[in-house]
Amino acid sequence: MIHLMKFLAVAAIGLSVTTGCAYKSADSTELTERTAPVTMNSVVFTDYNLKRTWTGGFFSEGERYRLSVVQHGQRPSATGTTEVYAVLRNHTDYDYQIEARTQFFDQDGVPTDVRPTWQRTTVPANSLSTYRELSATTQPLQYRVEVRELN
Amino acid sequence: MLRKTALTTACVLTTATLILSGCASNIENVRGKPSVYEDVSTTGSVGGVGIESQDVVAMTDKMMRDMLANPMLTGRSTPPRIIIDNEYLKNESTSVINTNMLTDRLRIELNRAANGRMVFVGRHFSDMVQKERDLKRDGAVDGGTIRQTAAQAGADFRLGGRISSLDAIDRNTGTQSRYSQVTFEMVDLELGTIVWSGLYEMRKAARDNVVYR
Repeated sequence: MIHLMKFLAVAAIGLSVTTGCAYKSADSTELTERTAPVTMNSVVFTDYNLKRTWTGGFFSEGERYRLSVVQHGQRPSATGTTEVYAVLRNHTDYDYQIEARTQFFDQDGVPTDVRPTWQRTTVPANSLSTYRELSATTQPLQYRVEVRELN
Repeated sequence: MLRKTALTTACVLTTATLILSGCASNIENVRGKPSVYEDVSTTGSVGGVGIESQDVVAMTDKMMRDMLANPMLTGRSTPPRIIIDNEYLKNESTSVINTNMLTDRLRIELNRAANGRMVFVGRHFSDMVQKERDLKRDGAVDGGTIRQTAAQAGADFRLGGRISSLDAIDRNTGTQSRYSQVTFEMVDLELGTIVWSGLYEMRKAARDNVVYR
């Protein structure tokens, strides 16, 4: 009986230690997003409170998120400029005020177009919201959308 | 006993030295606090319910991109001539704002981004242009190196708009809420039709006692 209790105690402590180590907070320097390569035609959360992933530890992978990207893409406008859209989903019970901006790059990956500006939007609780941005130039472009929580 | 007296003397001397050296100079030789620059496109350390820099930047940027995607403005074979100034942008809100900040930023950013797809008429500089034209016609100065035209440029479109607001105050908490609405409309200067419209709206609530000037 004593052996069983000891075993259970050790198992509980071990489990709590390993789960405790598996969790990474938003300010951790071991988050995957911090060193992920910059990819074109993508939507990223620059605020790691909104979404973060990590690897390593006993449980090799972990993820925490409040918002996610349902889909994103681009299409030409009536005048030949580029329209980028990103559909965001709120997984929480609270409205989230966010701001997003789009950096445009030409086909060689060179930053182009006007300076990106943060635009506000609200993602309602447990719902979707669409962020849209237009480019100023008519040349073919690649994009990178950055999303963060409004300060 | 002797050791105790010596120790006491040493302590007194040390204290006296520290006090004297501390009072030796009135100069406080430390680096001053540097000015803090803040990003104009984000909420700064001082924030209230009025229209602020991040709102000016965000709304003019949004309008600029929207205008460039409008085929009636940028899809023409001959670039349209456009006037963007604050002559017809009325501030009917409770926010204190120089409307030139909106129209100047919009015109400049649009002119830079349009890259010839729109031509902007500097109507707010018309008296400056007329003075120079008169000097040229009077022979006081020569004709310049570009060209001579019969008159200054007439415009095809002109920006108009309105800033309006709706305020509410909670007397119990002192929280103030303001809904601000800014409309921009591009008017055909021959027909009077509105060829493009843009709307920017926001609602802010704060308890901070911020004064805008």
